[in-house]
Amino acid sequence: MEGDNQEQISPSQSFWAESWKHYRRNPVGIIALSFVVFLTTVAIFAPAIAGTKPVVCYYKNQLYMPCLGYFNRSLESPIFTKDKFRGTYPTNLQEKDPNSWAVWPIIFQDPYRRVRENEWPGRPANPSRDQGHPNLYNLFGTDQYGVDIFAKMVHGTTIALLVGFVSMGIAGSVGIFIGAIGGYFGGWIDSLTSRLTEVVLCIPTLVLILAIIAVVEKPTIWKTMAIIGATGWTGIARLTRAEFLRLKQTEFVMAARASGAGPIRIMFAHILPNALAPVLVPITFGIASAILVEGALSFLGFGPPPPTASWGSVLNSARSNLQLWWLVVFPGLAIFLTVLSYNLVGEAIQDATDPRLREAKK
Amino acid sequence: MQKTLGCKVCVSPGSTFLLMCCCLLLCIASTGCGGSKSIQETPPSELTASAEERKEPLPVTALQPPDPFDVPQIDELDTEAKWLDRPVRNGLVLLRESQSKEKVRGSVADALSARNDSPDLNELILSALGKLPTNEEADYTARIDRHVGGDLGSTNPIMISTSAEFDILGLTGFGLFSFGRDLEPFATSETVEQWQTSTDRMLDKVVLRDDLVWSDGEPITAHDIAFTYKVIMDPRVPVPAVRSGTDQLRWVEAYDDRTVVFFHKEPLATNVWNINFPVLPKHIYEKTWEADPTLKDSEEHVRLEQAPVCGGPYEIVERKRGQQIVLRRRESWSSVQGQQVRDRPYFKEVRFRIIEDPNTTLLALMKGEIHEMILQPEQWTTQTVGSDFYERNTKVTAPEWVSFHFGWNIDTIFFRDRRVRRAMSYTFNHDEMLEELCYSLYDPCTGIFHPGAWMASTKKFKPYKQDLDKAEALLDESGWVDSNNDGIRDKEIDGRTVPFEFSILVNQQPLRIAICTLLKENLDQIGIRLNVRPVESTVLQDLTLNRKFQAYLGGWGSGTDPDTSENLWKTGAMRNFCNYSNPEVDRLYAEGRQEFDKGKRAEKYGQIQEILYDDQPYTWLYWRNSFYGFSKDVRGYVFSPRGPYHYSPGFGSLWKPQQE
Repeated sequence: MEGDNQEQISPSQSFWAESWKHYRRNPVGIIALSFVVFLTTVAIFAPAIAGTKPVVCYYKNQLYMPCLGYFNRSLESPIFTKDKFRGTYPTNLQEKDPNSWAVWPIIFQDPYRRVRENEWPGRPANPSRDQGHPNLYNLFGTDQYGVDIFAKMVHGTTIALLVGFVSMGIAGSVGIFIGAIGGYFGGWIDSLTSRLTEVVLCIPTLVLILAIIAVVEKPTIWKTMAIIGATGWTGIARLTRAEFLRLKQTEFVMAARASGAGPIRIMFAHILPNALAPVLVPITFGIASAILVEGALSFLGFGPPPPTASWGSVLNSARSNLQLWWLVVFPGLAIFLTVLSYNLVGEAIQDATDPRLREAKK
Repeated sequence: MQKTLGCKVCVSPGSTFLLMCCCLLLCIASTGCGGSKSIQETPPSELTASAEERKEPLPVTALQPPDPFDVPQIDELDTEAKWLDRPVRNGLVLLRESQSKEKVRGSVADALSARNDSPDLNELILSALGKLPTNEEADYTARIDRHVGGDLGSTNPIMISTSAEFDILGLTGFGLFSFGRDLEPFATSETVEQWQTSTDRMLDKVVLRDDLVWSDGEPITAHDIAFTYKVIMDPRVPVPAVRSGTDQLRWVEAYDDRTVVFFHKEPLATNVWNINFPVLPKHIYEKTWEADPTLKDSEEHVRLEQAPVCGGPYEIVERKRGQQIVLRRRESWSSVQGQQVRDRPYFKEVRFRIIEDPNTTLLALMKGEIHEMILQPEQWTTQTVGSDFYERNTKVTAPEWVSFHFGWNIDTIFFRDRRVRRAMSYTFNHDEMLEELCYSLYDPCTGIFHPGAWMASTKKFKPYKQDLDKAEALLDESGWVDSNNDGIRDKEIDGRTVPFEFSILVNQQPLRIAICTLLKENLDQIGIRLNVRPVESTVLQDLTLNRKFQAYLGGWGSGTDPDTSENLWKTGAMRNFCNYSNPEVDRLYAEGRQEFDKGKRAEKYGQIQEILYDDQPYTWLYWRNSFYGFSKDVRGYVFSPRGPYHYSPGFGSLWKPQQE
């Protein structure tokens, strides 16, 4: 290998740089990762991709960004309510201030409501009932009530990714913490955390979510994420514990302890960075399964409150009429591809970070 | 969701009476059940549970057993009271008479080959396929597979409350009274020989026929009726629905095996509905009910629950929970000692398939696994138009008195003011709902009585149309303006600025959620925030009953008598979820009950309707008509304002032709 000489001279690469080097050599991993990055972009810029509110507009001598209203209704300036825009921007902007201008989203469609005739001058109303085949204005068709599916899919990406990241963020933090203290301290603390892990392992997430949704006053997507996170940390905790059990015997930990580092410092500053790689893998898989759980919940009608756009809720609307194939195919594909790419990313990380696996594959 | 009643033989009394009573109570039940009271609409799948919940809080008056009553001797009654004969009829005979006067619009073959895409063809199908059979035409060995949207809570007739129970117990239960397509009450000639009311309207006397037996062979007597009254009125027995109405009776006394007298507390126009309740076999329950007043916990009651002793034209022969219930025709109903004493029901076997999901149900209909079902608007318009549907089935529609509304809780700070409630009605885009969401199948609703009903006001009410300017003006006028400039209307109440943001409860049905979502969009346009909260229908029942809501979307099926709607509007009434209170309305209801002239009664109820239209405690949305799919093998369906089953003869008029 030609790199051998170089490595002797230059300082050795860090573990992460090394892993990235290996990751890059895995084409499947790269494609999957690019897809995830693409989804993230779509999620962040969703209101600029599909919406009926201007991305930026100049109105009565001021600049506004009404599209932020898609993220949070209070970010949309009240002036438009005051001036009786009533949710319709294109004609009203011109009418109420001829000097106004606006930058529009790429696709003029709304994820929450039907676009009506001449809302955008010269464009017909969205087709409804079973007439909503994909067409020029509705790339992915419309549902039975005339709401554009493309817009729903784009805005649903935000939900899907949020669910994955937030719930696995919670699960990751809890799992790593519990696994770390169990593995590091051992003894009765370990028994306690291990038993706790086993108990939580027995809780069926879906059933728990259904039960909680029935009880809470105002079910939101955030509560769903919290529950998925609060029950999904067990695998992570077990892996972390195993890593800690192994690593606490190693020389560098002994050295750290000998130089007087406290347990918290040893656990999180010394051991954790070395234990993180194997833990990343179940987290990635967890994101995929959280997206599936959210899809399943929305499909069953227990997802975020309507009219929140989510992939599962589009699937749900297909339930009443399976002949509307576009209500099945697009969200189905989106869920499938997203879950698949997260799983592939997870696998690629595993390959890239585990030297033994790398060796074995050679 | 349901169908009920009826035996084929017309009316089985049982069924109807059940209905009546039930309905009364039924508040919840769903769409279709019969009964004289208003019926709360829920999706079929949730009926069972919801109904149970709902009934539990009973009117306080019902919780005390009747005071001991010094029963007069029968001769005393006969000398003191002047008796008026009341109608004793057979629903099937009445239907046959009325059909003989109707013009036939076309042949059966025409109707079977027609695709129902115009009102004319709908009339043709109804007219040709709705006919009763002539002699020898019907196949008496046939079986029909019917659909119900939820399982039975109980097979005990006095526990009836959901529409699935109405459908099934209507066929197996025994009763004295019924009502026809015009909702006029009568005693059914299948069980009653004579029915008389005293001229002071304080007494009703019924003489039973002597050829009635329970499915175990014991005779059905007047003592069963008096016994059942005592059980229903015992506060220890958890009767969900049937007690309301029955509690208006002072006493029920059996003077001999065939004579029973109902004593009323007051002379009311509604007494005729109060005497209509289901009947238990005394010889079975008198030994067991004291020991186990729940009627379902003891070993014996568990056994009876599985295999009840039935008094109607059918008996339950198989019950698989969550899957199906099979009824078989009871030969001891129609013939006694080898002699035919009553019409035989047309079907030998009735199989109820329990399927919750409407799409699965439609697939089952298309495959021929069931013979009838209620079609959703979407199914009617887009999924039942092709030859795959018409190969085995056809479909019909008819007006039905079931209406839907947004209810505004008047006790909340938002909806206290009538102007705000009117603003809500002006905000909502009614046209879009009717045309797009409801596929133009439903008619706009403007008030509590169907325009075709005798009690409806003669005034023409204008349906509300969306008018955002008017809505905003009304809101401004009532003080809801955006004072803090955050885009949301608000109002200062007790020194606190309250934003106009509220939640609406709706059950998990796509159409109803879509309607609420449309309301949300409309409100958003004028600076009001709405959170749509889909909940299980049991939760919806519970929250509305306990007034823990700000707004909800719900519906009511019509009762047989306008008085049944009193408990939706009277101050403090149980089902007056919106806390509406108007002394004028209370007074008109009380007067309407005491008035016996139908025309004058109608005036009172018309006035109530006008007051409610002005006050808008509800934003009325639409009348949901009947939309049914039927197998081409089934004939004889005739629709009443309560759908095809919940009257007499109801299911009793359905039949299958002989196979060639």
